[in-house]
Amino acid sequence: MAVIQARGLGKAYKGKTAVNNLSFDVRPGTVTGFLGPNGSGKSTTMRLMLGLDNGHGTCTFDGHPFAAYDVPMQHVGALLEAKPFHPTRTARNHLRMIAAPNRIPDTRVDEVLGMVGLSDVAGKEPGTFSLGMGQRLGLAAALLGNPHTLILDEPANGLDPQGIRWMRDMLKNLASEGRSVFVSSHLLSEMALMADELVVIGRGRMIANGPVAEFTKQSSANHIKVRTPQAHDLAGLIGQRLAGQGSVQAVAPGELSVVGLSADDIGDMAFDNQIRLHELSTVQASLEDAFLELTGGSEEYQAHALAPRPPQQPYGQQPQQAPGQQPYGEQPQQPQQAPGQQPYGQPQAPYGGPQQPQQQAPYGQPQAQPGQWAQPPAQAPRDGGDENAGGQA
Amino acid sequence: MTAALRYEWARLTTLRSTWWITGISVVVSAGFTFVVAMLIRLNIPTELKGDVSKKDSQFFLEAGMTQFSNVDPVFYLIAYAIAILGILSWGHEYRHGMIRATLTAVPDRTSVWSAKFITVGAWVAGAVLVANVLSLMCTLLWFGSLDFHYDWPELGISIVQRMVYTVLLTWLVMAVTELIRHQTFALVLLYLWPLGVETLLRAMLAIFGIFNPGVDDSARFLPFNAGGRIIQDWSLTGGFDPGDGLFGNPLSAWGAFIIFGGITAAVMALSLFSFKTRDA
Repeated sequence: MAVIQARGLGKAYKGKTAVNNLSFDVRPGTVTGFLGPNGSGKSTTMRLMLGLDNGHGTCTFDGHPFAAYDVPMQHVGALLEAKPFHPTRTARNHLRMIAAPNRIPDTRVDEVLGMVGLSDVAGKEPGTFSLGMGQRLGLAAALLGNPHTLILDEPANGLDPQGIRWMRDMLKNLASEGRSVFVSSHLLSEMALMADELVVIGRGRMIANGPVAEFTKQSSANHIKVRTPQAHDLAGLIGQRLAGQGSVQAVAPGELSVVGLSADDIGDMAFDNQIRLHELSTVQASLEDAFLELTGGSEEYQAHALAPRPPQQPYGQQPQQAPGQQPYGEQPQQPQQAPGQQPYGQPQAPYGGPQQPQQQAPYGQPQAQPGQWAQPPAQAPRDGGDENAGGQA
Repeated sequence: MTAALRYEWARLTTLRSTWWITGISVVVSAGFTFVVAMLIRLNIPTELKGDVSKKDSQFFLEAGMTQFSNVDPVFYLIAYAIAILGILSWGHEYRHGMIRATLTAVPDRTSVWSAKFITVGAWVAGAVLVANVLSLMCTLLWFGSLDFHYDWPELGISIVQRMVYTVLLTWLVMAVTELIRHQTFALVLLYLWPLGVETLLRAMLAIFGIFNPGVDDSARFLPFNAGGRIIQDWSLTGGFDPGDGLFGNPLSAWGAFIIFGGITAAVMALSLFSFKTRDA
């Protein structure tokens, strides 16, 4: 079975780098997810891999460039467009057309149409197809040659929930047969269920590359949630234990978020110090948490929050300014920091990625200096004396 | 190359527009001949009877067979209609994003490019052949009672002239479409250049030629002006107008072929270079 080896892929448009020296492997028997913000160069990379765009670097499939195969679709199946067909050529004829040069019999055309659930519309013109049906036809084309490698660009776009599950099961099944599956998607929840490995890029550069579990494990959003009426006391103990190797933060009255200790450690510590616990649980970072953390600042096109606006006033009335609210034309308010909320510990370095991504402080909070304790606000409310208990080791 | 030809043949024949454009081109060509031949027959019945001289036979049969395209400046309609297939052959690739599907099915760009020109060229040549045969049949339907001198080799050369002209025209617009990657603009150019731009240039050269003798003669080297001489030089078929050398005034068919074919070859070479070097 084939391994995809991409080496030094690069591409620039009019002096602007779209893909910068990307190298990665896609192993047989795995679904490798390809993630990156919009405009990060995912589609360009896929086109470079197949030789559709001119650029730098090489990509081989089982040791051969895509163009070297006599019947390429029997080796590599690709889906690169949302609706890659002529609107008035029937679905069956579309597949027959691309089957013809690849020595694929017509019987296989009907077979893949059945696989993707388009048998009933095989004789219909795909111009009337929905986006999801178009994607299914594109998938059918990719599967036509029963290839050992699949390259799919956003195949889940437009699919309904059943279609997404079908696609996930199918790709996992294909991978389990020993094929290499390389798939990009914006549906992170879907990717979390489907992918074994990840290639994450931002602004055309490699950010991370490795198993999904390792990827999420490195996220600073992994933490232990502790609820206790003695949060202040426990936070102090935890801070001492961490000794600079993690953080403890009060996120709500009587609730702590701890990074750097296990639930067992905290439970034992509370028991030893006769601190009552109401909840002690491990919170796993989602793929979305890890992705957003890693790609923060690497979006090509960044949206910004709207400035707060006063409610619409009836004509003829003066708008009433809310206390503390800035009128238009003045500086908008800075977001208010929750009482007692402190930053987590230092951001984790990405694993496997050659470049350091820009790290953002969690929840928009300023970061503390390395080794510096984050002190609670001097005039913070002390409801029960516990809300501001927190510190950073 | 065989794979690319298989792909292109399937691409061409599985499109409804291919059949519509081809069918309409052939039917309109034959229908036009039928109607004109009928009008001539009904209006001057007494003069068209009995034995027809060899020269008149040649002229008349060729005119009927080729939709009167040997009479300057009649527009050779079928060439401009069927050439639309050439525009669509590249236009669809870029308009519908098919080019990536094409190149993932057949990654060899030179083969894809060559197969398109070969397949579409052969198709339009076949359409011209069918249209001419049908037109000749329509002509004979109305004038079958006349005793023509049938010189089949010469009639065959007339058909070949039309096929060559139509294929070159189709290849030229195909190459232009690949270069600009915009089928609507290419379609406009197909009609605007020969009918508008060259007519304007000819008029300007004619006016300028009043004060500068000989300048207006250079209009014969304009691409479509030259191309038209491929089908309007009767000397090839033993007709009138022997011309004045290869590039004389008017141009000989061979001179016209060299000029129009040369321009077409140059644009095709640019197109191939573009197709091989630009992103899909």
